[in-house]
Amino acid sequence: MSIRVNPDLRNELIQFGIGDWNACYHCGTCTAICPLSEEGFLFPRKKIRLMQMGLQGPLESSVEPWLCYYCGDCTKTCPRDANPGELMMSLRRYLTSTYDWTGLSKKFYTSKIWELAWILFFAALVIISFLVILPSFGYKFTTELTAEGGVKLNSFAPIPIIEAFDWIMAIIVATLLISNILRMYYKIIWKNSTTKVSLWVHIREFWLLIFNFAVQPKFSKCDDKRYWGAHWFLMSGYTIMFIVIVVFLPWFQTEKILPVWDPQRWLGYYATFGLLFGLVIAIFGRLKKKDIKFRFSHVSDWLFLVMLTLTVITGIFIHIFRINGMPMATYVSYITHMAVLVPMILIEVPFSKWSHLAYRPFAVYFTQLKKNAVLK
Amino acid sequence: MDHKDSIGVFFFDLMGTVNDPINYSELAKYTLGFQQVLQAWHYSDFPWNEETIRKKIETNDLSKIIVAGALPGTVKTLFSKAMSMAGKNPSSVILVSFNEYGIWSDKEIERAKALLICAIRDIPYEIAAMPGDAPVNPATMIIGGGISGIQAALEIANGNTLVYLIEKTGTIGGKMATFDKTFPTLDCAACILTPKMVEVNQHPNIRLMSYCEVREVTGDAGNFTVKLLQKARKVNVTTCIGCGTCAEKCPATAPSEFDSGTTMRKAIYMPFPQAVPNKYLIDAESCIYLKTGKCRACVKACPVPDCINLDEPDKEVLIKVGNIIVATGYKTFDAARMEQYGYGKYPNVLAALEFERLLNASGPTGGNIHYRTQDKKGNWIFSTEAEKPEKLAIIHCVGSRDKNYNKYCSRVCCMYSLKFAHLILDKLPEAEVFEYFIDMRSFGKGYEEFYERIKEEGVSIIRGKTAKVEAKNGKLLIRGEDILRSELIENIVDMVILSTGLEPGEDTKKISEMLGIPTSDGGWLEEANYNTDPTGTFRGGIMLAGTCQGPKDIPDSVAQGSAAAARVIQNILRGRVTKDISGLTLEEIENHINEISPIQV
Ligand code: SF4
Ligand code: SF4
Ligand code: SF4
Ligand code: SF4
Repeated sequence: MSIRVNPDLRNELIQFGIGDWNACYHCGTCTAICPLSEEGFLFPRKKIRLMQMGLQGPLESSVEPWLCYYCGDCTKTCPRDANPGELMMSLRRYLTSTYDWTGLSKKFYTSKIWELAWILFFAALVIISFLVILPSFGYKFTTELTAEGGVKLNSFAPIPIIEAFDWIMAIIVATLLISNILRMYYKIIWKNSTTKVSLWVHIREFWLLIFNFAVQPKFSKCDDKRYWGAHWFLMSGYTIMFIVIVVFLPWFQTEKILPVWDPQRWLGYYATFGLLFGLVIAIFGRLKKKDIKFRFSHVSDWLFLVMLTLTVITGIFIHIFRINGMPMATYVSYITHMAVLVPMILIEVPFSKWSHLAYRPFAVYFTQLKKNAVLK
Repeated sequence: MDHKDSIGVFFFDLMGTVNDPINYSELAKYTLGFQQVLQAWHYSDFPWNEETIRKKIETNDLSKIIVAGALPGTVKTLFSKAMSMAGKNPSSVILVSFNEYGIWSDKEIERAKALLICAIRDIPYEIAAMPGDAPVNPATMIIGGGISGIQAALEIANGNTLVYLIEKTGTIGGKMATFDKTFPTLDCAACILTPKMVEVNQHPNIRLMSYCEVREVTGDAGNFTVKLLQKARKVNVTTCIGCGTCAEKCPATAPSEFDSGTTMRKAIYMPFPQAVPNKYLIDAESCIYLKTGKCRACVKACPVPDCINLDEPDKEVLIKVGNIIVATGYKTFDAARMEQYGYGKYPNVLAALEFERLLNASGPTGGNIHYRTQDKKGNWIFSTEAEKPEKLAIIHCVGSRDKNYNKYCSRVCCMYSLKFAHLILDKLPEAEVFEYFIDMRSFGKGYEEFYERIKEEGVSIIRGKTAKVEAKNGKLLIRGEDILRSELIENIVDMVILSTGLEPGEDTKKISEMLGIPTSDGGWLEEANYNTDPTGTFRGGIMLAGTCQGPKDIPDSVAQGSAAAARVIQNILRGRVTKDISGLTLEEIENHINEISPIQV
């Protein structure tokens, strides 16, 4: 099989942040120093080679960029300042854009204006819904308080409507993600004509996927365990929030002021703490730029952090204002919260940085499949 | 001169000097002081493109353009095109390259002005700034007694003039004296060097001053006064018979410099058996008497009366010379800086010079390769009682071609690594030898053939630099990537040899300041012209030889030693020496230009 060379590939990749594509002189230091690189799945050097030579096909069917957790060891020891760690990060952005069949991901990654415009568009939709559309159906702001002195949030943002809306959003996002993961599967496993993976292997290895999602054992193999901890808190907080909001909204968005020991409050507090902890470390890291993983920030990295922070802070405000009976403040926080949350979920999750929450565990799964593959 | 010239000056600063930026407005003012110059622009004044520049040419009716700054060549076509678009002669674009003349900051602004006046008045800078001559003192000083210094000293002395050869350590011979074999001929290094060293010592025209340092150089080309510090050897060089009785009795030890620390020597010592001068000396830092006032064992043991004088003081010596050759050499990269290789942590990770001594018949094991082991006191030593290693790995480019350390290629390490591989197989025919390299630089005469030969000898030469060395079950685990086969390498070996690169010798910075010779990238002394005058410097009467100018192998160092000597002999035969290049002041250059081509009004 001949391989097509795309001489423009590197120019394309520059838009995703690869930096100096030509600096690497292939000494192999990065591959050997990388704690995650292993026989059969060697990176980063091999991927840099594909990129330099414009071998788009093999690059797109690579699973390796997803196996890198950006510990920065390679960048630290690279004798050519080729910055292999950031290169792998950029390749992840690029791969995200190739899995996405809508083409929006590429647009978002390569044009700040596009991404911002869409975010603002969705934010505006949310604000208009709350200020104009919902009130016209009779859901009004009310300054009346509940018997306990809390804000009547549910009459302003009626649970059935919000819940229906949540589900619609979840279905859209899930459809996009699942179709993209199928494309990822096609590129990495299916199209690979030399190996064959049996159905049984597919099933047997599936548990790994769940395990990987929950624990991220690969990340913990990096020498610096701090980020594994921070990332784990962030991710678990996020997952809990996601589940309670989509699946258990009536239980979560309540007008009752529950006692402090109620599990609903505990879960909420834990998730908030997890998110905040992870965020603070990431933001400080990126601002201080001391660690290599935080030295280079693409616009998408910052957008992600800023939006998530805003969501968490407004979420906290809603909680405080609501139980203290401050209706207007609650509503304003709620609308802002939704105005950030909705575009974040609709844009960041399927098309941008957040999609890694799906691609990464699947990449580990696919890697496992490849390891178990038999030669055809 | 064409007094009808109407000139526009464009300042271009691509490199954007960060510290002490060049004051372009002052330069502009200077050029506008000439009636031919109509206007001067800086590239930040307006966006430069063919169209905007053409407009400037047309509105000012410019007949000649001067583009001055760093790398002006990059915009030359822009100006030539604009000139022809405006119907002017496209070849009337004159470039004034600041970087070519060493103008990097505002400190050199006078030279920048001199270049500009030359461009305005159409006189080559080389002519306008041509330095004058001075009479020359026929004596020559050579700083450094390594192979380049020795070569230069012999060439000049054989031409029947006086040479002072100043050597910092107790012996001449330099790094080459410590080598076992030379590449690619596999000659015995000592066998070719020792006769030269002896010749230096016996030469009637060479004043060998060992254990001596240059402290101050004053004066100018042709007439330098040099203040030397003759450190006290504390052993009389004329009467010492080199019997070594003193050292036998001396209780104090220190690591041997000659053996790269692989053996110990006494405080009173001869650097190595063939040292020149072949006499003992005392290292004040390790001598017990000089630290505590008690001992004098050597004095009691010495059979020659009054030969050892422990209280001999250092002396200052003044000499007068006309020419100076700098041959201060290199030091090797400190491998401990690259923690990933475990040098200093694992006793059997060796730096190149250590391994060189291990191979050498005069080294710690008499030329046999043995492990470094612990003696009864727990010190790590080389001893013939230890086992012999069976698997050895050589790692290239340690500290070289690496932006974290030195970005240049040290030139010699590929070849000496191949030489190591050959010598290992020579001494341990059953051993397995691995070389990990990035690119094989076998550029010299006979070098590629040498490489081919080593490959045929069965050495595993693997493309891919090693990333780290770790201890594993008392052995050394190497992790790397085999680039050509795209495989991870995990190789367990007995001994690792690091091909440490070359760095300017410790004193290079001091010498550079003392003599007023700038250093270039990497800290090497800067030559007058990389291509056409690699031996000369900006200072008249001061020449460079050997590795102080940049990494070099032995043949190149010797060649440059001879070349520097030729320059000195030329000056002596002519009886005059050219003064410092760019030594003229701006005013002198202006006057010179006015002499050559008086202004016509
Ligand atoms: S990225 Fe750096 S460390 Fe990796 S192979 Fe290239 S030059 Fe070597
Ligand atoms: S950043 Fe860390 S995990 Fe990623 S390729 Fe480099 S060394 Fe491997
Ligand atoms: S006086 Fe110094 S050099 Fe002489 S024997 Fe004692 S320690 Fe050694
Ligand atoms: S000579 Fe060889 S080993 Fe030495 S720096 Fe150059 S490439 Fe590396």
